[in-house]
Amino acid sequence: MIELFFHLLVLAGIVFAAIFVYMERDLLSAAIATGLFSFLISLEFYILQAPDVAISQAAIGAGLTTAIFIIAIRKVGRWEGDER
Amino acid sequence: MQLSRIVRTAADILYPFILIFGLYIVIHGHLTPGGGFQGGAVIATGSVLLLVAFRYSELTGDLRKGWMKIFESGGLLLFIGTALAALLVGGVFFFNWLANTGSLFGIPVAFGPNPGEIYTAGVIPVMNLAVGIEVWGGLSLIVMYMMGDLEEGGERS
Amino acid sequence: MKRIVAAVIAIFLLGVFMLIAVQLPFGRPSYSDMDDYFLRHGQEETGANNICTAVVFDYRGFDTLGEASVLFSAVVTTGLIFRRLERGD
Repeated sequence: MIELFFHLLVLAGIVFAAIFVYMERDLLSAAIATGLFSFLISLEFYILQAPDVAISQAAIGAGLTTAIFIIAIRKVGRWEGDER
Repeated sequence: MQLSRIVRTAADILYPFILIFGLYIVIHGHLTPGGGFQGGAVIATGSVLLLVAFRYSELTGDLRKGWMKIFESGGLLLFIGTALAALLVGGVFFFNWLANTGSLFGIPVAFGPNPGEIYTAGVIPVMNLAVGIEVWGGLSLIVMYMMGDLEEGGERS
Repeated sequence: MKRIVAAVIAIFLLGVFMLIAVQLPFGRPSYSDMDDYFLRHGQEETGANNICTAVVFDYRGFDTLGEASVLFSAVVTTGLIFRRLERGD
């Protein structure tokens, strides 16, 4: 029962993070929310007893991808629809 | 865009701990969850944290492109070399020629769930180390190339 | 009109996928001889307590070699694309 509760909590967090990424106009906040999305997916992998995949997802998805997004945002500007 | 002093100081303090945690995952790959790829990715995350917090021109020491190229190529060469060395002792490619021999990494293990020894598993720790070094160099190098583009072209906002 | 058709198709596909996903057995993998062999003989053959690593680096070593090669070629391609922007070093 408690396991089902954690599942629902993490899955609801994933859905809310995805909707936030879609709605947000501040690209830096959206990149951080993408990192939160990946971190919650990694937590879900850990709950499903796959610690190998969870470590990979936490390092690649939550760490490196967010960093690459931040580097790209440094280049193109912070706000969406901000023409050059 | 200069990141704030809080981010820079936190990155400076966190870097050795991330390095130690990644090395732990790599070295204990045959005993605990994880392995070469996961540990290398964790270490690369630490390097990328420093790269995002500081400018590329501010970094000194081991975090240069030349070292990362050496790490990446050396890791892949060590991996293939360990697999090829099995041919010298009379096995096939990727034969585990160090396991259960009693020499380096060759202690036999008991059957069933047990905590385990670190000097076991034959060539698997060597290959873990090789893949870990390769993934560290490779993933850091990708971000370093993008940072090099950023330093040349100027930044916005 | 187009939007209504698109919505109907989307709902239909969602229903089909949900119907398939509900019927899948989840968390109870079927029995296979290969799994049984790895679990019984992996520890004495490779000496590794972590059977996942034993499979990845010993039994399925060629997969790991391919993965390392893929990463290497990805880095080399990134270097080719960004090379003209690099100066020295």
